[in-house]
Amino acid sequence: MKRKSILSMALLLVVLFSAFPVNAQLVRLTYYYPVGVAGPLARVMNEYVEEFNALHPNIEVVPVYSGDYDPTMQKVQTAVRGGNPPDVFIVEISELPTLLAMNAIEPLDEFVTDEFLSDFFPAFLENGYSDGHIWGIPFQRSTPVFYWNKAHFEEAGLDPEKPPTTWDELREYAEKLTVRDPQTGEVIRWGVTISGGWNDWLFQCFVRQNGSKLIDYQERTAVFNSPEAVEALEFWVDLTQNLKVAPPHSTWASTPPDFVAGRTSMLYHSTGVLTFIMDSAQFDFGVGFLPGKVSYGAEVGGGNLFIGKGIPQERKEAAWKFIEFLTTPEMAARWSRDSGYVATRKSAYEVPEMVEYTNENPEYLVARDQLQYAAGKMMSPAFQRVREILKTALDEATAGRTTPKAALDQAQTQINRLLGQWLQQ
Amino acid sequence: MKSNTQQTPKFGPLEKAFRFIGVNRIHIHILLILVSGVTLAPYLWALSTSLKYRVNVFTETPQWIPNPVNLGNYKEVFRMAPFGLYLVNTIVVVVGILAIQILTMSTAAYAFSRLRFRGSEGLFFLFIVQMMLPVHATIVPNYLIVNKLGLLDSRLALMVPFWATGYGTFLLRQSFRQVPRDFEDAAMIDGCSGLRFLYSILLPMAKPTLVAFSLISIVTHWNDFFWPLVVTDSPAVRTLTMGLAMFVQQESGADWTLLMAATIFVTAPLMVLFLIYQRKFIESFMSAGIKG
Amino acid sequence: MSSSRLNLTKTRPYLYLVPSLALLSVFTYFPILYSTYLSFFRQNVFTLEPVFDWFANYAAVFEEPVFKIVVRNTVVYALGTIPITMFLALLMAILLNEQLGWIRDIYRVACFYPTMIPMAAAGMLAVWLFNPGIGLINHYLKMFGVPTIEWLYDMKWALPAIMLTAIWKNFGYFMLIYLAGLQNIPGELYESASIEGCGFWSRLRYITLPLLGPTTVFVVIQGIITSFQVFDLVYVMTQGGPADRTNVFVYYIYQNAFRFWDFGQASALTVMFVIVLLILVFILTRFMERRVHYEV
Repeated sequence: MKRKSILSMALLLVVLFSAFPVNAQLVRLTYYYPVGVAGPLARVMNEYVEEFNALHPNIEVVPVYSGDYDPTMQKVQTAVRGGNPPDVFIVEISELPTLLAMNAIEPLDEFVTDEFLSDFFPAFLENGYSDGHIWGIPFQRSTPVFYWNKAHFEEAGLDPEKPPTTWDELREYAEKLTVRDPQTGEVIRWGVTISGGWNDWLFQCFVRQNGSKLIDYQERTAVFNSPEAVEALEFWVDLTQNLKVAPPHSTWASTPPDFVAGRTSMLYHSTGVLTFIMDSAQFDFGVGFLPGKVSYGAEVGGGNLFIGKGIPQERKEAAWKFIEFLTTPEMAARWSRDSGYVATRKSAYEVPEMVEYTNENPEYLVARDQLQYAAGKMMSPAFQRVREILKTALDEATAGRTTPKAALDQAQTQINRLLGQWLQQ
Repeated sequence: MKSNTQQTPKFGPLEKAFRFIGVNRIHIHILLILVSGVTLAPYLWALSTSLKYRVNVFTETPQWIPNPVNLGNYKEVFRMAPFGLYLVNTIVVVVGILAIQILTMSTAAYAFSRLRFRGSEGLFFLFIVQMMLPVHATIVPNYLIVNKLGLLDSRLALMVPFWATGYGTFLLRQSFRQVPRDFEDAAMIDGCSGLRFLYSILLPMAKPTLVAFSLISIVTHWNDFFWPLVVTDSPAVRTLTMGLAMFVQQESGADWTLLMAATIFVTAPLMVLFLIYQRKFIESFMSAGIKG
Repeated sequence: MSSSRLNLTKTRPYLYLVPSLALLSVFTYFPILYSTYLSFFRQNVFTLEPVFDWFANYAAVFEEPVFKIVVRNTVVYALGTIPITMFLALLMAILLNEQLGWIRDIYRVACFYPTMIPMAAAGMLAVWLFNPGIGLINHYLKMFGVPTIEWLYDMKWALPAIMLTAIWKNFGYFMLIYLAGLQNIPGELYESASIEGCGFWSRLRYITLPLLGPTTVFVVIQGIITSFQVFDLVYVMTQGGPADRTNVFVYYIYQNAFRFWDFGQASALTVMFVIVLLILVFILTRFMERRVHYEV
């Protein structure tokens, strides 16, 4: 009797213990990610991470929200410098050359398949390649889009379903939409706002609309003062200084709330704030292509997923699993709905929930449709400095402190000096 | 050496002047009330905003008293970021800094006040100069050094540059100097000298200075920003000020009620302590400026 | 009387200083030397490992058009905030030194409480108050008929906004220091002076201000020390913009080191910054020794 009970106890214990998998293999991944637009996206990302961790009991992704794009890049650089790069991270796409220069990332050729890559929109892949290798997988990708307040359009006698499609129309509409205080002449409502903060990105789009570009990464050219670029900046200055229908300065974070509060009738901003505007606006609004000149034009934006250099193979593979998870057509579609970013894969738009959603909310298709006119975002080594140089030139010109030509000429001189060695190769 | 008692002269130096111009005490009070109102306004407005619902923020005229009151913002702030953890980290760092500061201060102040040795003036000058070279001035090399020491992204990194304090040494030296020689001689006869003398006799006698310095140190390092920004990354090590900065980026100007709630929360601990122990805080900061 | 006991007495003082001096060397003085050393090496995104290049970094610093603006902003900021804060603090201290009754405690708390909050939080409050559309400040300004100021988005007004915030934050602390100094002036001095027929302004000039000498020096020192915290404000409020109009020296160093990842230039800038600071220290200590009237 005694032996039997001992045996059954032992059996019970063995069964019990085998029910708990031994997790000696738990792979922990540090994951740095930014949130570059308004909206509770950090929470959304945490949900995704939780789902992944639940699906993969032997991998634990530790998400570290790292602020905006700039602070995130700074944190990545600090970690890399300290010899401890994050396993997987998202940074702004134009940082690729800097990441390469710092030897901070792993090439992803061994993980991707042609089939996988061909499903991504080509414009989004452009910023993932360098020297024939693929380094970054598109995740939170966007183009700038054009938002307009339909109620204001009606008020001003404009057709609310017809946004401006050319620069000239934009100027004309902006003049009609700007509301000024009758006594002081002060602007109470701006006709159009070309958002500051990433106004360099928006400027790149205007230059594309005018048929030119600023930097060609593959060809290693950088021309900031081409006639087309000067003309684009002159157009901006016309709006801010001569006609006073656009504010000369603003921040990336302040303009969507401004639009929602009705302080500006038309807005240039990322498609990534679409969900925020949808949730907050108390009026009918439209989303459309950026008005063009020679043609429609835009440069893509956003962040790619990268894997840190030098991490152990098992973490690399786990990191790739995570990247795969985040970039399935279903997840890409879901992320697009949750944020407004463009789903990075063509097949994402065929996922049933997505089809239904975009039928009800066609605004979510605008940025995707604009992709046919979009090019990769400009990038170069020392990109942060390049950005600052361009932004300063833009800010000074739109404030009327210097002429567009002088501003861009000076920018060109600085760029030549900064990128000298890179340009000559 | 003047003591710290508050002696207000019977006739304020300006009283006669004011009476001459025709300004009387009422006018002074009015001016002071106005100034106080202006200085209090920002914080009170933030507090008011933090208790509102998001839609009620965009009113034509400012509504100082929120109606209806919304306590949910504070709950939401806690949900969005681990502010409790940030609070714990801040306390750990602040206490860690103060504890070692007192150690380094007391030994150095003892040497400078009671012992005579060559080069003491020059060495003391090094301490004085340090007061004017806060970590902000040398952030780049300090960062590189902490990196080389392998301390990046640790709470230790947040404490280490502050452990030596020229200011504290200076204050404590003043205080120690006031203990008469006789004390020391008597103690030495009893066999108490050196470190024992320092810790069992000098330090207790310098208690007011220590308390004053502690309050100043706590307030200063509770509110550190630049240094933590540069040497810490991960949430596990973040302090309250860092948490606020991150939170601001997360909310990016979209929801002022949440932003103000976070700001009020981050400032609340010190503020509450200050309101309760006003006298002590004010005395401490005042005594710091008196040089004998 | 063994020789070892003599040696111990000689080295004992220095032993007491070891902890502090070690820390001071590692975190204050060695960094200065280290920066000086690094400033002669190019080290940035293009050149990851430091490469010796003479004064290239210093030349690069002066070649940047932004540098002139940064220096100007820093000087404007320093000259704008420190004297104004000191004047305001002194004025308030004189007023608060009067017989005011229990309500004086309330005034003191109202003026001093900003010291309790981090500069970054003060920046947050300021961003909210200075919001052009729905901020408190523009609202009240509108009531007085002042046209809308875009504050943090306006190249002219962004730096003044930051300066106002800093003054609000610091004047209470300086006021307390002045109060302490004022209370140290014995009332008898004023009494005997007025008996001798000294008027208000003479008393101010010959008693109050001279006796506040050491206090004033201390306040200036505190003014310089607290002015570094402008970094927190710039980081939270404007990130150096618009068009670098709020980019001050300490922020520029941060930008070069941690945004542009150019440690060569950042080191050169640090060296320049420290030199200016040390010159200030030198001037202040000289001033302290020569002109300040200490109480007998």
